[in-house]
Amino acid sequence: MFAVYRELEGSTRLAAHVLRRFWVLRFPPVMEELVRQIYFTGASATATIVVRGAFIGTLIIAYVIEVLEADAALAVKMLLWVVLREVGPLIAAVLVIQRSGTAVATELALMKISGEVDSLRHLRIDPQDHLVVPRVLGIALSLAALTLYVQFIAVGGGMVLSALVIDASFSELASNFFLLASPLDLAYSIVKSLLFGGAIGVIACYYGLNPPGRSINAVPKAAINAVSQSTIAVMIINVVFAYLAYGVALFGLFTAKL
Amino acid sequence: MSELPTRVEEARQMALGYEAPPEGPSGRLWIPSGTGHRAAPVSQAFKQRLVDALLDLEPQPGARLAVLGADAGGLAARERQALRARIAFLPANGGMISNLNGWENIVLPLGYRDAKRVNAAFPKVHALIERLGGHPRALLAKLPEEMTLYEKKLAGYVRILLEAPELVVAENLAGGLEPEDRRRTAAFPAAYHAERPDGVFVQLDDAPDD
Repeated sequence: MFAVYRELEGSTRLAAHVLRRFWVLRFPPVMEELVRQIYFTGASATATIVVRGAFIGTLIIAYVIEVLEADAALAVKMLLWVVLREVGPLIAAVLVIQRSGTAVATELALMKISGEVDSLRHLRIDPQDHLVVPRVLGIALSLAALTLYVQFIAVGGGMVLSALVIDASFSELASNFFLLASPLDLAYSIVKSLLFGGAIGVIACYYGLNPPGRSINAVPKAAINAVSQSTIAVMIINVVFAYLAYGVALFGLFTAKL
Repeated sequence: MSELPTRVEEARQMALGYEAPPEGPSGRLWIPSGTGHRAAPVSQAFKQRLVDALLDLEPQPGARLAVLGADAGGLAARERQALRARIAFLPANGGMISNLNGWENIVLPLGYRDAKRVNAAFPKVHALIERLGGHPRALLAKLPEEMTLYEKKLAGYVRILLEAPELVVAENLAGGLEPEDRRRTAAFPAAYHAERPDGVFVQLDDAPDD
């Protein structure tokens, strides 16, 4: 129980540090780290993530059409409710956890164990400024961008499949979709993605900088902890968001048109 | 032990003074001001305590630390920060950051403290590496995992020379090196004093019992 409290407190402190010190991006070395992180998490992962997103989006629509014997209106609603708002950000988050969460936790744990974090301190550079701020912001921004790609591909793939299976043209589905969708839907998923990314980044950095030991065996443990805790954090954020959107707090805001 | 404050007040004669607290590995290191010194702490544990205290400028409870004539124990946070900016430490492994190449490692502190100087520093970095027996083009492009121990120490040292602070503490400078590279490290203090003639260069060797 104490360990959970300590980890929660440590992650919260790290998140507060990022919010308080994001201005360190004006230093060239921090900006370079941010660009590296965006390249690794966002650019170099795009192809993999988009392909998986397209498969999953199409698969969901295929099941919905088959099981619910959906018509065009229901297929579009499913695309909006399930794929755009929920599955898009979640798929992107899970893939980023698998790829970047493990990479960041492993890299930082190795740096900690090999004394590189202390080397930064010797140089009068705050390790959290140099290592944590660009990684957290890089993962958050990349995840938001990847979510957009996944949504675009998954919704597009779903519409193409729907047009082939049910008695509705692609243009009819698309016009229905754009009639129902609002900019708020996009804002909802982007804000959620930024929070997912921030949480994944903070948790990966926390476990990387606090490996459970000083031996090389601590490195995979740090990565495992980062992945499992990031997944839980993403699920919790998703539940809170769903409650805010569909529950009491903002009831009707998103569902009015539907 | 009571002599230390008096000595600190007496002059700027002392570069580095440390007296370990009674608990744990004990010892005392007393380095007067001057251009160069070589010291071997009594034990590795004592050395570690000294280095920790020096880098944080926060002596452990019961310990005494004096740096560049100032009693670190009596400093306010801001004064401590200012004093810390006058000190550089070269760890035995060179202190490289593994995901940065030689050039990025060398200019890393400048990027934080004086970014405008980064590009202008290239000719100077080139000249310093050559002077200390390295191959600039190769070294600047290498990642730390591709460097020899000497190259890591060299890159770490050139990084310090770009700022040339008043006190440089080099940990076990020649340790673990081939004879030829050991000879090259003999030129390190002179390169520092060419940048800062009044600076103090301290070589902190390994303890004799280690």
